Amino acid sequence: MITEEIKLKVRDIVGSENVLESSVDCFGYSYDSSFVPMSADNVPDLVVIPSTTEEIAAVMAIAHEHSIPVTPRGTASGRTGGCIPVQGGISLALHRMTKIIELDERNMMITVEAGVRTVDVYNFCAEKDLFFPPDPASWKYSTIGGNVGENAGGMRAVKYGVTSNYVMGLEVVLADGSIINTGGKAIKNVTGYNLTQLFTGSEGTLGVITKAILRLIPMPKVRNTMQLMFPSLDNACNTIHKMLMSGAVPAAAELMDRISLQAVARHRKLDINPSIEACVVVEIDGESNEDLQKQAAKIDMIANEFEVAEVRIAASQQEVDEIWAIRRGLSSAIGAMAPNRLGEDISVPRDAFPKTVRLIRKIAEKYNLTIAVYGHAGDGNIHPSVLCDLSKPGEEHKVHAAVDEIFDAALSVGGTLSGEHGIGITKRPHIAKALGESGINALKMVKQAFDPKGILNPGKVW
Amino acid sequence: MKNTDIPPFLKNVDEIVSQCDRCGTCLTVCPLYGVKDIESSSARGKNNIARGLINGVVKPSPDVLEVVNFCLLCRTCVDNCPSKVKTDDAMISVRQYFADKNGSPGVKYKALGSLMKNRTLVKFSAGALKVLRKIGMNTIVPHGMAPEEFTRKQYLAAFAGPAILGSSVKTSPIALSNKSKVAYFKGCGMGMMFPDAVEGTLAILRTLTDPQIVDNLCCGLPHLAHGLCSDFLAMAKENISLFEKSDVIVSDCASCSGSLKHIAAYFADDPVWKDRAAAFSRKVMGISEYLFQAGYTPQWRGDAKLTFHEPCHLGRGQGIKNQPRQLLKAAGNFIEMKGANVCCGGAGSFHVDYPDIAQSILDKKRINIESSGADIVVTECPTCLVQLNKAAARSGGKFKVMHISQVI
Repeated sequence: MITEEIKLKVRDIVGSENVLESSVDCFGYSYDSSFVPMSADNVPDLVVIPSTTEEIAAVMAIAHEHSIPVTPRGTASGRTGGCIPVQGGISLALHRMTKIIELDERNMMITVEAGVRTVDVYNFCAEKDLFFPPDPASWKYSTIGGNVGENAGGMRAVKYGVTSNYVMGLEVVLADGSIINTGGKAIKNVTGYNLTQLFTGSEGTLGVITKAILRLIPMPKVRNTMQLMFPSLDNACNTIHKMLMSGAVPAAAELMDRISLQAVARHRKLDINPSIEACVVVEIDGESNEDLQKQAAKIDMIANEFEVAEVRIAASQQEVDEIWAIRRGLSSAIGAMAPNRLGEDISVPRDAFPKTVRLIRKIAEKYNLTIAVYGHAGDGNIHPSVLCDLSKPGEEHKVHAAVDEIFDAALSVGGTLSGEHGIGITKRPHIAKALGESGINALKMVKQAFDPKGILNPGKVW
Repeated sequence: MKNTDIPPFLKNVDEIVSQCDRCGTCLTVCPLYGVKDIESSSARGKNNIARGLINGVVKPSPDVLEVVNFCLLCRTCVDNCPSKVKTDDAMISVRQYFADKNGSPGVKYKALGSLMKNRTLVKFSAGALKVLRKIGMNTIVPHGMAPEEFTRKQYLAAFAGPAILGSSVKTSPIALSNKSKVAYFKGCGMGMMFPDAVEGTLAILRTLTDPQIVDNLCCGLPHLAHGLCSDFLAMAKENISLFEKSDVIVSDCASCSGSLKHIAAYFADDPVWKDRAAAFSRKVMGISEYLFQAGYTPQWRGDAKLTFHEPCHLGRGQGIKNQPRQLLKAAGNFIEMKGANVCCGGAGSFHVDYPDIAQSILDKKRINIESSGADIVVTECPTCLVQLNKAAARSGGKFKVMHISQVI
């Protein structure tokens, strides 16, 4: 419970128009884009919408004094319940922290507030021919604060890496309200612990990220798209390995299995040969059209070594859009196949991709469930989608058992629970399997050091 | 946990809102979220409140009704949603649920519904407005503009209906011939507030055909939008009967043409009315849809720079986007403005219920009109006309506002 006196103080800090208290308004901050069931227990007591770091620091100081839970939130596009305030308290909504503070062209770095949307960072840099590569599927509405908090990935990870590869420094408000700055614009920096990378992916449990300094690279001059159809999943993966080993690194290599493909075919009324076991959509980028042609020819040659059934190199923007429409339309096409869908996010060593897919197929057979598999084959990040109808008796139990086995499968091949969505609430029960007891204890010690009262995003990760 | 006795309206809502993946795409496009950025403004917020109602996490309350009423029903979210979740349909059904539960949609909407159900009262209101217009307003507000005084005094609370869209409908499949019997459907908003535009429509129709003038009832849109579904159905039946001898029914109000096209869907399960309703809806055409298909050539061509404000009910509601623009290209110097299809904030009675929010949305629209450099912004909906006239006044006369029937 938050007393009226404390509410008054919070209102004084951010202005009463930026504090939501009614139950219907607060309800809107009790969910995210995960499959966590709705619950009255997840409704925050107060939603606070600050506009400056100083306001956040002052709110944290009060929360710390009175041991009130605080759960930071961007636009709630997360997939694991990370911003759900499971212990009530304050939902700290950062979506109004939208200032782009500086674009430093010579050092090729941009400094932004946490609430800036990822797409806005991309566009702002693109105008100066600079490139911010991380592109989680939610990039048009997710915020940078959320991306850093979850260490978001995306399709371009195979060539350009994930969010953490671009975070140079952070401004963070700690649990007690003090403000720290980590890292900076110096490329080489070994002064003290690397807190920048510790906060990146900490899911709001160690501090509130308020600003980020992000590294940029030159914008590739040209891009093109290819579509490769394989009668064999192994050969699709073999092609990707050989491409990477031989230096033909694609900007994205997205793989869809047969179930995914047929879902898209039905949804978009396309005719896709049912003998195709895997479709790989490849994006290539480079300095010139000649450069692109060379890359495409090389990829074509490698794919042919592995018995590709069809290679399509986009010849126009329209064709690029057509090919990407298959990948982009996938999520809704799969969603339309069943009343409910549980999307997972395991990550495995790249060469274990086909084996993992086969293990997932066995699980699907065992539980008599349809599981569509697609993912970022270039980096081993797999998104199995379990299709189900949770209103059927017994179905929920069955689905959870299947998901458990999917995690086991990922761990058995040397992989892990999450590639880019984080642990949040949904994967908490599994983390001990991945990290072991000592591993969890190490996380707890870090948490204890930064947040001894346990007020920051409680009930998450382990 | 789920409510076991879900009323039928909420069952329909459950099917819609359970498709919401809560991704957040709608936050970037919802005009309301654009001016009031809290979760409950957005489609995601509203759909999840509906989900909460169904599974018992949210208790029905006046606050909840307030949230579902705070929606333009403009369908921008539906168009952009990866799963095409029909938030507008869901909100209409939740409003109906509250109206049934409370025994009434509330005094204001009930009074409005009763007024618009009654032909004589509608005409009387129109007459009263006409008298007021005659007291010198016409000289300062030419071209059938609604005098600003009317809106300021909130006359529209009683006269303009709230908006509703339902699912997007297709354009009319009717093939026109010289022998087609064309009837004019006179909308309440057009008749009451824009008689000059109505005259324009009839004059244009007369160049092509001998239009039948039918003493029709209100299209029922205000009733449907605010929990008076049975009134909507009763009026629809009478309108179906009235137009049975016509081959084509033309309306110069996007909200009327849109809702009349939807009548078929509302009678799909009614064995007695199903076929008649389907035949009726098939015959309905918006004015620009009809004129474009009939091959109408504008009677004059001027140098005026024209731009088009696409009403939600016309573009997203009926898929009529190209026709008005082609007609305007033939009538003058057409310029496409930025965000032409973004809601103007009018949305039936929304601008009366939430004047500050509607004004903020309208300010964005006004900036886009001004930047286009157009002399005249043209549209095909009386509520949009009212809003755009407010914008024109605020812009200090940088542009004029006209109904499409007045410029072609």
